Amino acid sequence: MSPLSPDAVHTVIDDLGALLLFTMILIVAAGQIYRAIYSVAAQSLLISIAGAVLATATGNPDLWVIAGITLAVKAILLPWVLHRVVQRMNVRREVEPVIPIAATLALAVAIVVVSFQLSASLGPVRQAITGNALPVGIALTLTGVLVMATRKTALTQMVGLFASENGIFFTAMAVTQGMPLIIEIGVILDVILAALVMTIMVLRVRSTVDADIADLDRLRG
Amino acid sequence: MESGPGVIAACYGAGALLSLLLARWSGRLALVVSHLAAAAGAAAGLALSLGLLLGEPGRTLIRPLPNFFPFAKLSLLIDGLSAYFLLVVSVVAVAAAIYGPAYLRAHSPDAGSTRQAAQGFALNVFLGCMAFLCCAGDALTFLFCWEGMTLASYVLVVSDDRDGENARAGLLYMVMAHGGTALLLVAFLALTERAGAFDFAALRAAAAGLDGPTRTTLFFLALGGFATKAGVVPLHVWLPRAHPAAPSHVSALMSGVMLKVAIYGLLRFTFDLLAPVAGPLPFSWGWTVLFVGTTSAVLGVLYALQQHDLKRLLAFHSVENIGIILIGVGLAMILWRQSTGGALATVALTAALLHTVNHAAFKGLLFLGAGSVLSRTHLRNIEELGGLARRMPWTAGLFLLGAVAISALPPLNGFVSEWLTFQALLGGATRFHGPAGLVIVFSAAMLALTGGLAAACFAKAFGVTFLGRPRTSQAEHATEAPPSMIAGMLWLGALCVALGVAPGYAMRLLDAPTAALLHGPGASAVVTARGPLVLSTALTPSGTNGTAISMTMVAALLIALSAIALLLRRGVRRAPQRVAPTWTCGMTPTARFDYTATAFAKPLRLVFAALYHPRREVTRETAGTPYVVGRIHYAGEIVDLAETHIYHRVEREISALSQLIRARSTGRIYGYIGFVLAALFVALLLLGVAY
Repeated sequence: MSPLSPDAVHTVIDDLGALLLFTMILIVAAGQIYRAIYSVAAQSLLISIAGAVLATATGNPDLWVIAGITLAVKAILLPWVLHRVVQRMNVRREVEPVIPIAATLALAVAIVVVSFQLSASLGPVRQAITGNALPVGIALTLTGVLVMATRKTALTQMVGLFASENGIFFTAMAVTQGMPLIIEIGVILDVILAALVMTIMVLRVRSTVDADIADLDRLRG
Repeated sequence: MESGPGVIAACYGAGALLSLLLARWSGRLALVVSHLAAAAGAAAGLALSLGLLLGEPGRTLIRPLPNFFPFAKLSLLIDGLSAYFLLVVSVVAVAAAIYGPAYLRAHSPDAGSTRQAAQGFALNVFLGCMAFLCCAGDALTFLFCWEGMTLASYVLVVSDDRDGENARAGLLYMVMAHGGTALLLVAFLALTERAGAFDFAALRAAAAGLDGPTRTTLFFLALGGFATKAGVVPLHVWLPRAHPAAPSHVSALMSGVMLKVAIYGLLRFTFDLLAPVAGPLPFSWGWTVLFVGTTSAVLGVLYALQQHDLKRLLAFHSVENIGIILIGVGLAMILWRQSTGGALATVALTAALLHTVNHAAFKGLLFLGAGSVLSRTHLRNIEELGGLARRMPWTAGLFLLGAVAISALPPLNGFVSEWLTFQALLGGATRFHGPAGLVIVFSAAMLALTGGLAAACFAKAFGVTFLGRPRTSQAEHATEAPPSMIAGMLWLGALCVALGVAPGYAMRLLDAPTAALLHGPGASAVVTARGPLVLSTALTPSGTNGTAISMTMVAALLIALSAIALLLRRGVRRAPQRVAPTWTCGMTPTARFDYTATAFAKPLRLVFAALYHPRREVTRETAGTPYVVGRIHYAGEIVDLAETHIYHRVEREISALSQLIRARSTGRIYGYIGFVLAALFVALLLLGVAY
């Protein structure tokens, strides 16, 4: 017997979804790299809270594990790594957008609207899931990719990748009460590896040729 | 018996882990321990498979595996066919594990402990994956082991010497192997999709409901996948590069065993899983396999003839022998469940399976022999060797044994399985009238040509490597290989002799696999109907017009004849003996007088010039007048038709295409991500509607 009623879970998840969207807007709007990093850390924290809530509601022990891993890896470890890289690089702390931040925000709004529109059209699927989790998840995923597509430097693109990953986690947790543990762990490992590779790339490229990843297009043959 | 698979897994697993752990202290220790563990695992595999095949034929051992995946039940299923191929794997693995440490130490004495750890680890993973691939009871285990086998052998291929040649060979191997795996994935997943489960029983049930075209499409997908691994022409291009690049005992395993695992997959997939519930297999299957088998056999040996790299030559012979095996398999597919076929399908399959173990034995032996030459001289080009028979008598003798066996000469094992293949072909030709019969007769003629060319090729390989005078100082100062390497070769050599002299007893091993696949009489009931010492087949449907041969008698006859010849020679030898160098018109004989491999293969190069497109370049340096030749430089090469006509063309197309793409690409990462986002968005808008 779960300690939380289904309605209460719906409300909590919906509220968390709203907060998640808010952090996403913070990430999109952030002009400084630090701000984007803190926002994505906060977002990951919210994801792990959502995991914990769903774990109490469903009694699925796998969700506790996932919530714990999310907290440790995505809310603490990876932001800390990013923070250190920014400190080590010691240059260009402002985000360099490809298109103006205001235009990106407008695109993000469009994505959120389309996501809600889209999940409304997925009527039968929505019956089985928790509140508004699906559109929020889709919106987070797509906006994360949007952040990656509209930023020039590798570090801000990494922030976008983490946000996108958070969206996938949220969708998975809320829609199917969590994917099999092995897949979730696989996804987490993917993120860690991506962060590792990108960090090494950024630091190496900077230390050897004094250029950012964004300048690699000069290598084109 | 029950704990067999567990023991095998424990041995190989322990070998792999210990190799990594011990390498911190001593790379040599890690190498020895990991190879010992591999030998133990192979011995366990030998015990399990022999116990099943001889002790309880017809029994199927099923062991569930722990559930790694929520969506699939994994299991091991060891029936007659699995046990037989487990036997093939283990037989060569024993020899390779005994041979390995001394070889690696002699061949690359300055190898770091990391490399030694990787080699010990990869060898155990490789062997374990091959053993459990043959025992897999579901598609998932099968595919996992398949992939593990590929990756481990890749590591071994690139581990030997770190030059560009090996890396390129490894890359080509990787690309080809994964192309093949992709085809297999599609074939298997198409079945698992229908079955909703991964175990073979469910796949069999799902395949029963397939319609004809789908079934044939799946067969050709699987054939493509398995043929890539087996090195069938024209998918063989990776094989002559990757096999020689690996350490020699691994070459023996790759050529002797890994190709056979692909044959296992083909047999399992075709006869067991995909075959229709009743009636013969579709017309196109068997004839295609027969055709590619014949082509591979002839082209494999023809290309082998022109190779002067000993290990590369042996690798091309693997293409040939896989072709011979496929001739048997294809014939079994054609004849199976035909109203007129009778027991002939069993003969064909028996020939193929027997050649599988025979080829594993003699090709393993030959690769190990080539390895001991390589480890002593560090030379692979046979033109630079020569005269090794006096310096390495054991190696030379055992290599000669393997050469006789692979050339299909009595009384050794290669003859037995090729004889059976001939019987099946000739019998099959009498079953089909008109063009079909002619095709089978043509295939038999090609098989005969293959045997002759193989004998020519090994006359060259053995003669130029071991006879005559040494052509380089490395060959001159070569010494015999250490006892452990000789022991590994002796084990396989003994097997070649045993299987050649008394093949009737080996037929009992083939009972369970043939009965399990064809649901007919076992091999020994058909082939050794007249007692274990006589092999016999009934060529006509009535069974009257039979052929029979007793290998034991043949061997006895040969021994008796040579004894008589020896006695006669001794009897007539009256005049005193004098040992003197060969008379060379008064000149002092040098190593340059010996027949070279290039010269030996020249007549055949001319006969088959249409196939080889030989290119030669002769430059003369004259001293002053054109009558005094100071130096002649000769360079010659032949082309592989598959490479020039298929692969180079594809390569050109791909590079032209990538040039086009490069001209259009911006190189901006955020631009690419933008494309992904836009594609995602459009896909969601277009397809994101509930069904």
